[in-house]
Amino acid sequence: MLQRIWNLCCSLKLAIVLTSIATIIAIGGSLVMHFHPNLFGGLDALSLSAWHTGYGSKSLSLTAWFYLTGFLLALLGLNTGCCFIDWLFKIRVRWRKTGEYLIHLGFVLIIIAYFWGSFAGTRSEGNRFNIGETKPITALPGHYLRLDDFETVLNESGRPVDMKSSLSLLKGDQVVKSVQVHSNTPLIYDSLTVVPASYGEETVGYDVMLTALNRPAKIAASSHIELKEQTTLTIQKFYADATRIGNRVVRRNANSINPAILVQVSQAKVNIWSGWIFLREPLPLFLQQKGFNFVVKRPINRVYSVLTLNTDPGMRLALTGSICLTIGVIFTLFSFYYKRQRGDRPDIC
Amino acid sequence: MILTGIFTLYLLATAVYFWHALRPKAGIRRAAFALFLAAFTLQTIYLLIRWETAGYLPVTNLFSTQLFFSWALALCYLYFELRYRLHATGLFVVFLTLLLLGSALPRDTAIPPLIPALNTPLFTFHIIFSFTGYAFFAMAFSVALLYLLQKRLETPILPDLALLRKLNEEAIFLGFCLFTLCMVMGSIWAQVAWGYYFSWNIKSVWSSIVWLFYGGMCHAKFIRRWQGTGYAWLTIAGFAVVLFTYLGIGLLMQSNHPLE
Repeated sequence: MLQRIWNLCCSLKLAIVLTSIATIIAIGGSLVMHFHPNLFGGLDALSLSAWHTGYGSKSLSLTAWFYLTGFLLALLGLNTGCCFIDWLFKIRVRWRKTGEYLIHLGFVLIIIAYFWGSFAGTRSEGNRFNIGETKPITALPGHYLRLDDFETVLNESGRPVDMKSSLSLLKGDQVVKSVQVHSNTPLIYDSLTVVPASYGEETVGYDVMLTALNRPAKIAASSHIELKEQTTLTIQKFYADATRIGNRVVRRNANSINPAILVQVSQAKVNIWSGWIFLREPLPLFLQQKGFNFVVKRPINRVYSVLTLNTDPGMRLALTGSICLTIGVIFTLFSFYYKRQRGDRPDIC
Repeated sequence: MILTGIFTLYLLATAVYFWHALRPKAGIRRAAFALFLAAFTLQTIYLLIRWETAGYLPVTNLFSTQLFFSWALALCYLYFELRYRLHATGLFVVFLTLLLLGSALPRDTAIPPLIPALNTPLFTFHIIFSFTGYAFFAMAFSVALLYLLQKRLETPILPDLALLRKLNEEAIFLGFCLFTLCMVMGSIWAQVAWGYYFSWNIKSVWSSIVWLFYGGMCHAKFIRRWQGTGYAWLTIAGFAVVLFTYLGIGLLMQSNHPLE
């Protein structure tokens, strides 16, 4: 009985049946996938477990093929794995098929790695880093990522073609890896892969000319402006685009549309006023009297890098599978011609 | 100019091969092969010059991929011709080479600057293995058609069924091996470029279908019932999948694969 089950698990015909059904379902499913981008469009941005929770499980009539294909591939992986183990037991007489069975092993390892990575891994897109900023990596507790420097590579017509982000990966306060990440050069550490996604520019302040005092000043977070009568204006926050919601002032986006500053005004080191000032609206009269009248000379812009941070614990296993596939293909090519030369014919079922 | 020359030589080779298919003579066969060899040599030189000029294998637009695919088809035919003396049996592949080259002729031959994402040897290998794999699948398709034809006609013009079956199996096997390497290179490239080794874009899904299908075919040849006619039909179906993956997705659908 056990022998019959084992024979079924190793069956060549079972492999063909599973492959055929998986292929047919995947062909049909790929069309469903194409016509329902709202369901399947985010598959690359999410881990499969997150996709299952957010989308897959909610539209089973359209996603059932996806689970079925996955199940069939898992069965095919099991069948292929059994074939490989069966071959291992007979390796002394079937060693000439090493190449073929390395391909089998490679396929099994990749299937295991993909399922492992899909359910235990994470995908995180749109992580914004300013130069000098350090952020914790949620998927890798105790680890932090710091953007040390950033530059764009422009082509002859001035169009950006690449982004170079100098990154430091920290474990606690210890730098464990420093890489300049750009196209085809990721930061890979343990199960983490960091790749550049895009970049942007935000207005963080203005260089201005104080007209009443006839001197330049900087309107940006943390800057201090000395006005008349020992008055100091300290800018606590700068929002390039802000709006009022009730009594609160909230940031909208990074473009300089409706800038606002949160200021504190002190005279002889005593705070006399604090509050939000929208720079496109008339300035408070008492501040104008202290000399806070200005014309904007230029915006102060800061470039930021947008990174993709993915973790995949199965990544190295998949690489091992790929190496097995490659070596297997090379061995198989040699053995194929060797067998052809000897006039060997394949076993017929 | 060179391109027109290559096209003309392939056209002449096809015509002479066709003549040979109707009136098999050693002189005609030798002339056809000489023309084909001249065309292939010239195309190889042209491809190498473009590679040298660009500093990378130029396969980043439709003209370049058609040029490279037609070269891979010609290389595949050359392999079978030298190994099995196929002669006019490979007429379909030579005709396909001609068709691809002909449709590439009116296109812009300028080499576009390489974007950094494609500037990696992984991309070069991915492309080389992909198109040579496709070329062997095209060769298998051609042989499968001839197998079905020979089974019906039993003509002395075509090779016997045993040889055609052997050629079909070999073309599928070589195509599968090359396509496996293409998938490996593509996956490693995707991991370093996008942070994941398998993308759910339609092109990648169909490439996996191609791999799975031909993987199944490599097993099906061991099943007696699937040998011969069954295998020939499977080969034809497989080539339809390949054609859809190479052309159909680009023409009928949208994909975020870097080469679409």
